[in-house]
Amino acid sequence: MRLIFLFAFFAGSLFVPTDLLRAQEAVYQAPAGEAPPVAPPLKKGSPLDHLANDPKLAEPTIGYKEGNTQGNAPWIAHRLIDDVGGQGWGWVKKSDAGWGSAKWIALQETLGLAVAPHRKLVKADADLNWEYKFWGHFASYKAYDPRLDEQLPVFVLTGYEVIGLAAPLNIKVGPPDRIEHRPSGASSRDSRPILSDPGVD
Amino acid sequence: MRPYLALLSLLILGTLDASAQSREDIVLTGGPALRFMEHGKGDVSHDVYWFNFVDASVIRLKELKDQAKPDELVTWLIYRPAYAARSQEMGLDLLGQLQQKAKNLGVRLVYFNSKAELVAYLNRGLDRDKIKIGDFDYFGHSNKACFLFDYSNTIDTMSVAWLHVKDLKLIDRDIFAHDATCKSWGCHSGEMYSQWWKSRFDVAMTGAIGKTDFAHGGLPQLSNSDGKWSQ
Repeated sequence: MRLIFLFAFFAGSLFVPTDLLRAQEAVYQAPAGEAPPVAPPLKKGSPLDHLANDPKLAEPTIGYKEGNTQGNAPWIAHRLIDDVGGQGWGWVKKSDAGWGSAKWIALQETLGLAVAPHRKLVKADADLNWEYKFWGHFASYKAYDPRLDEQLPVFVLTGYEVIGLAAPLNIKVGPPDRIEHRPSGASSRDSRPILSDPGVD
Repeated sequence: MRPYLALLSLLILGTLDASAQSREDIVLTGGPALRFMEHGKGDVSHDVYWFNFVDASVIRLKELKDQAKPDELVTWLIYRPAYAARSQEMGLDLLGQLQQKAKNLGVRLVYFNSKAELVAYLNRGLDRDKIKIGDFDYFGHSNKACFLFDYSNTIDTMSVAWLHVKDLKLIDRDIFAHDATCKSWGCHSGEMYSQWWKSRFDVAMTGAIGKTDFAHGGLPQLSNSDGKWSQ
């Protein structure tokens, strides 16, 4: 009975092999005497359905567009992975400005419209140093990265077009507080107090 | 004349009812990640089960209701946007289910949409000169410096709604009863958050050294053998 439940629960929510999931993810057990939770079937055509079931690419396709891409692109974006473990996406600058004015951003995807380009790739870092035209705007709020105890500006993505692979940029990675060596203030001893991996649960 | 008498009676009863409350017990519940954001993360994929924090909260709320004296209110504070987003992702009315759970428990359900709304409720949701918080429990994502009401729900692996230790100064010092009991059931709170809490409110908050595990269906337990609860 428990195996039937596990199959329905995980297969319904994720559509990936249950044996694999049993090995990888914690299994929720209902309190004694209560019915186990059963997720509804994955909605066909939903962002999660596309993410889980669409074929993945080795690298982005030059010229590919997603979301609202009308008019001239107001922003240019350069993808990079933060090698100290932060979850920032990369840099974004105004299309007519230099990279010196670029901001290290948290990328807020608009599900159903435009999601991060690396969602289409086999590996999340397969678009390292690729550049994109971005449509969207900076949010009025910031994102908190719990791994590094940092706050990042949020770029809300509504559309993008793949430009291509570019040369690495020679600018410092991270939000202004890191670059300017401003401690978070949360600890008198550590400039970054989050030491656990993954640091949040 | 009779309508006026009835109105006067209601006012008197209402006053008596409000003045009868002297303590409030609060359970604060953060939201789950979206499966879209957590897809493919293997053994660090969070919140496969959408009500992991809710089920644990319900257990604690039942305990509080059973223990509550007649002059104690029990309030359930829930970060609404995360459950609204997960509802949309799953095609389930999770908000309706939360309301039904609160109704079944007989507790007050108060949604909040931001840190500012949470702080406003804690400071001024009730008359804190008369009604102090006697018990406080937090269920949700956390690291040692932060309660994360939103985590991997709006932005992958990040938060857009949190209460950092540096934000505790936004909350009035005197909202808690002098003998209040506070506990964070989230991960790592005992490594920093508890100390800042005590410093701000002069009330101890129990928190975990290490991770906690919400996956077994009861109140969270320490994940590792070397973990412990601390103040």
